[in-house]
Amino acid sequence: MSTPILEGQGISKAYGGVQALYRVNIALYPGEILGLIGPNGSGKTTLFNALSRVIPVDEGRIFFRGQDVTDARPYQMARMGLARTFQVVRVYKKMSVLENMLISRSWRGVRAWNVLRPSRRETYQRAWELLEFFRIAHLAHMPAGALSGGQRRLLELAMASMPDPEVFLLDEAMSGINPALVEEIKERIQEMRQHQGKTFLMVEHNIQFISDLCDRVVVLHQGQVLAEGTPQEITENEAVIEAYLGV
Amino acid sequence: MRAATATSASAPVSLFRRWDIWAWVGLILLAALYPLSDPTTARLLVATQIFVLITLASNWNLIGGMTGYVDFGHLTFFGIGAYTVGILMTRSKEIVFAPQLSFWQAWVFSGLAAMVFALLLGAATLRLRGPYFSIAMLATLLAMREIVRLLTPITGGGGGLDLPPELNRIEEYYLSLGLMTLSVGLMWWIRNTEFGLSLLAIREDEVGAEMRGINTTLHKTTAFALSAFLTGLVGGFWAWQNTYIDPDVVFFEPRNLEMIIAVVLGGLGTVWGPPLGAVVLYGLREFFWNRFLFAHLLGLGLMLIFVVLFLPGGLIGLMQKGRAIPLHELLRPRPAVSQEEEA
Ligand SMILES: Nc1ncnc2c1ncn2[C@@H]1O[C@H](COP(=O)(O)OP(=O)(O)OP(=O)(O)O)[C@@H](O)[C@H]1O
Ligand SMILES: [Mg+2]
Repeated sequence: MSTPILEGQGISKAYGGVQALYRVNIALYPGEILGLIGPNGSGKTTLFNALSRVIPVDEGRIFFRGQDVTDARPYQMARMGLARTFQVVRVYKKMSVLENMLISRSWRGVRAWNVLRPSRRETYQRAWELLEFFRIAHLAHMPAGALSGGQRRLLELAMASMPDPEVFLLDEAMSGINPALVEEIKERIQEMRQHQGKTFLMVEHNIQFISDLCDRVVVLHQGQVLAEGTPQEITENEAVIEAYLGV
Repeated sequence: MRAATATSASAPVSLFRRWDIWAWVGLILLAALYPLSDPTTARLLVATQIFVLITLASNWNLIGGMTGYVDFGHLTFFGIGAYTVGILMTRSKEIVFAPQLSFWQAWVFSGLAAMVFALLLGAATLRLRGPYFSIAMLATLLAMREIVRLLTPITGGGGGLDLPPELNRIEEYYLSLGLMTLSVGLMWWIRNTEFGLSLLAIREDEVGAEMRGINTTLHKTTAFALSAFLTGLVGGFWAWQNTYIDPDVVFFEPRNLEMIIAVVLGGLGTVWGPPLGAVVLYGLREFFWNRFLFAHLLGLGLMLIFVVLFLPGGLIGLMQKGRAIPLHELLRPRPAVSQEEEA
């Protein structure tokens, strides 16, 4: 296989006495859709936080597009082409849906003085396109705080798509979204991977969704990688079944 | 709601097609013509004081309202500006071995000195959030006043500094008008740019802002430094027109409170709230508190409590609901990322 686009090597992270991650290795290859599953509290979100540089790690290194980004800041990751959503949705509740989109614009080629002007026409255009796709264009002028839980998830997905990133980290992004739309998003993800070579790492509790979409799955259990393989291998793996049943 | 919000428009609108800025330009032109009506010097002085309060409020709003870093000690920068002008105009021979500077020369340094101090201070305090930042800034203000009081050889200590006499009220009027026009105009511009949007994003959710590519440190430091620069200029101007400074008149608590209250009263985080709030506050002060001078601070305190409790969106909030952000929302402690993540 080619070299990973995003890679975590031996990542450990403890919260007080809780070892949230212990020497986790994870590699995400360009153009793949990788699923990350595991019981509640197994460290999935913590791993996302580490990879996106939202939290410092105790141990290990992180590489993104061939660079060591262990000490990078989240905004640098974003500008290098990484976008993520949060398990607890982070939209700007006080601002309109459209403003949320404008804020999440691309920073590609932006020089310091460029920010001293209003949002550009292209930014508005892209914002509207994405709002249409995610079926929330009619809410564009509502404060994001007035949206329902599912609508907020859609908005956050749309915001993540705004800068046209290379890699998406989606933390339970489909929960609360109506099944018909989930199907569409699924198709869209496949399309983006096929035609644009985008890469996805996604946490979902819905095994069906993961099996349909992912090329590979990594299973976390108590902060460690328990298994790794194709969806089929994973669903047949004894250890995984045990971990999920809590035996 | 849409038309007035720059960024709520469905499509980019040329900045010069917005009515609010033209209304502002109109007001400024009227103000510029006012001295032609041959007003008394007392009236010119009142107008100058109003312009100064508007400028202070507007500057404070950049860091306190738009960026969400509620600065309880912003008068520090006013003081630095005032003392920079005072020292450079009267003591530069003894202290920096430079020739005595004119007001105009010294004035440039007042803004710069405040800005440099803000950059140094901000590197530490801007890491704090919510009430912790506010308290650190208040402590800075109190410390600064004592430092100025103690550094007698440089600052004149409690005895103060006498600046060259200056009694040209017309000149003062136009200078303060110009400063106000610049400050408020800048806020309007910033609010309509991507930079301003980023500041609002930082105010609401710093982690989210970072994750969407905003260099939060750079943004908030820039806002803080710019705000301090402009406030330093006001301080420098004030020292010059007052012709006398000492720690008590410069670091005058009611002034520190007034710039905050003007913003909260007008509408925190909005462009036109601070000017509106400053005018109303000045009016209230003249017609009411001047009769009870001893209760000035008490009056201001009660006023702040009243606004926070009953008018959280300020006067702008009365006209456009949800436009201004309530003060208490900025003062709540914001949890660190990971804790919030792990809801
Ligand atoms: N900020 C924090 N402070 C203390 N402990 C934390 C913090 N964040 C995570 N943890 C702990 O780390 C462990 C892993 O949490 P994490 O959120 O990564 O799990 P998860 O796999 O995302 O779970 P879920 O499926 O419920 O989202 C848990 O035991 C959790 O209690
Ligand atoms: Mg999680």
